[in-house]
Amino acid sequence: MSTGAGIAPSPPRSRYGRFMTGVLRGTLKLDVWINKVYPADYNPLYYTGGLSNLFLFILVLSGIFLFFYYEASLVEGFASVQYITLGVPYGGLIRGVHRYAADGFIVAVLLHLFRNWFTDRYLFSRDNPWISGMFLLIFGGFVGFTGYQLVWDERAQVLTAMFVGMLRSLPLIGDWLARVFIGGAGVSDGTLVRALFLHIGPASALYVMLWWHYLRLRHPKIWPPATWVLASVGLVFLLAGVIPATSGQPAAPAGRPASFPMDIFFLIPFWLLNYMSPFAVMVLLGALFTLGFAIPYIARREAPQEMSVRHAGVAQVIDGNCTGCELCFFDCPYNAIAMVPSPAPGLSRAAANRTWLAVVIESRCVECGICIGACPFEALELPKFLERDVQAQVLEAVRA
Amino acid sequence: MSNGPKVVGFVCDWSVDLVPLMEGGRLREMPSVRIIRVPCSGFVRPSWLEDALGRGADGVFVTGCPYGDCLNREGNYLMRDRVDQLQRRLQRRRVDPARLGMLAYGLHDGPAFLAAVRAFVEGIRALPAPAPPRSAPAAPAPAAAERETP
Repeated sequence: MSTGAGIAPSPPRSRYGRFMTGVLRGTLKLDVWINKVYPADYNPLYYTGGLSNLFLFILVLSGIFLFFYYEASLVEGFASVQYITLGVPYGGLIRGVHRYAADGFIVAVLLHLFRNWFTDRYLFSRDNPWISGMFLLIFGGFVGFTGYQLVWDERAQVLTAMFVGMLRSLPLIGDWLARVFIGGAGVSDGTLVRALFLHIGPASALYVMLWWHYLRLRHPKIWPPATWVLASVGLVFLLAGVIPATSGQPAAPAGRPASFPMDIFFLIPFWLLNYMSPFAVMVLLGALFTLGFAIPYIARREAPQEMSVRHAGVAQVIDGNCTGCELCFFDCPYNAIAMVPSPAPGLSRAAANRTWLAVVIESRCVECGICIGACPFEALELPKFLERDVQAQVLEAVRA
Repeated sequence: MSNGPKVVGFVCDWSVDLVPLMEGGRLREMPSVRIIRVPCSGFVRPSWLEDALGRGADGVFVTGCPYGDCLNREGNYLMRDRVDQLQRRLQRRRVDPARLGMLAYGLHDGPAFLAAVRAFVEGIRALPAPAPPRSAPAAPAPAAAERETP
């Protein structure tokens, strides 16, 4: 292990590595600017995950309200949304909140994705939050699409036709998928019932995936600071009041509008249909998400040997020194340390007198060494950067 | 500057970009400051800081990422707490807590980091008398350190 402090790490050799290093530097440069405006504790980019969760919570609350009034059928779908907007007190406002919180959600999620990608926060065992995050993105995007379907205006009708076209373009399973999606050979009342389920079901599943997303994090930052909660809630209410969410013309069986208002956050795949065949769009989407899932595995910004002290091996417990005090267990940010009953009789006096023994769950360790700092009993070490190596450097410093 | 106070700095490998600032393990502008790179500021064990002071260093500091942006989520907050605790312990032993510092700077904050280190070094230079070594430099007593920790 090159722990000599004078060694400058060589710049990454691969093109991908150089590009991602540039992106990393740019991302942190942006932080410098934002930190000049907000104190670091309030930098919104430090809370993209919390902001996503906040918008999701707003969506759930406003969605429950809308659910009370929505009727899932071809005749009633459009009318009930109109009734919510015009007839129910504050209904139009709540509809707008639901609409703009969805945009806020997808923006925050994308910021969260790119920030964590660009700053290497998916390495080692942090691939687990990454993979669950990709699932959250896919499900979240799909929920947004079915939400546009539920309004059942002209746009919803065209979107449904486009999506069915995309599904049908798939070989072998395409027709079957399309039939499952619209609930029969053609659009019927059942289509909107399915759309309602496909809106609420995957949205509920988001919380199951969030559990997976948080599983390996101790103290996850699931809420932004109070000021940003107020600002975000205020912003969606303001937008809902100033630019109310509206429906287009009601869907008509023969209607085929040439254009419709675009939502750049949820409907980009449908915009691509202007330029590509449905099959090409499906292939592109499939390739994008496959790449997304593969990001932690296919390429790295730095080769392991370039990571220097940041790749010093999975932490190891020294059995004879562990007193079972649980300090490392409380401090590990990734829940990678478990306390197990100490095996009797133990190797040392400390081992004989303890109740618990710390065990590193190696599949969760990211080699950060925070447990080493937490342990006052010299019972934890990073294999390639030992306490001995640190002490040698300290000695060299004080002797010179 | 080379005869300035001996200072040991533990610097998170992810925080300040040290490549342009360092030469032979020391800061180019302040050769009396020896830098030890660590994988995360939270890796630093407080007893190492204590040891360094006990063995004759005039000051020790730890540098992590900006608060809220630790690569490992909580390392710099944890280290800030540990440094606070150690400062209180040192104070009880009549060691000036100004000899121990916690800094937080990001990749692009090189100049601000240098300024903070310079202020830290000047603060130590202004202190009245060097703390007498707690124990013989060659034989640190890990057993004693163990008893003192909570």
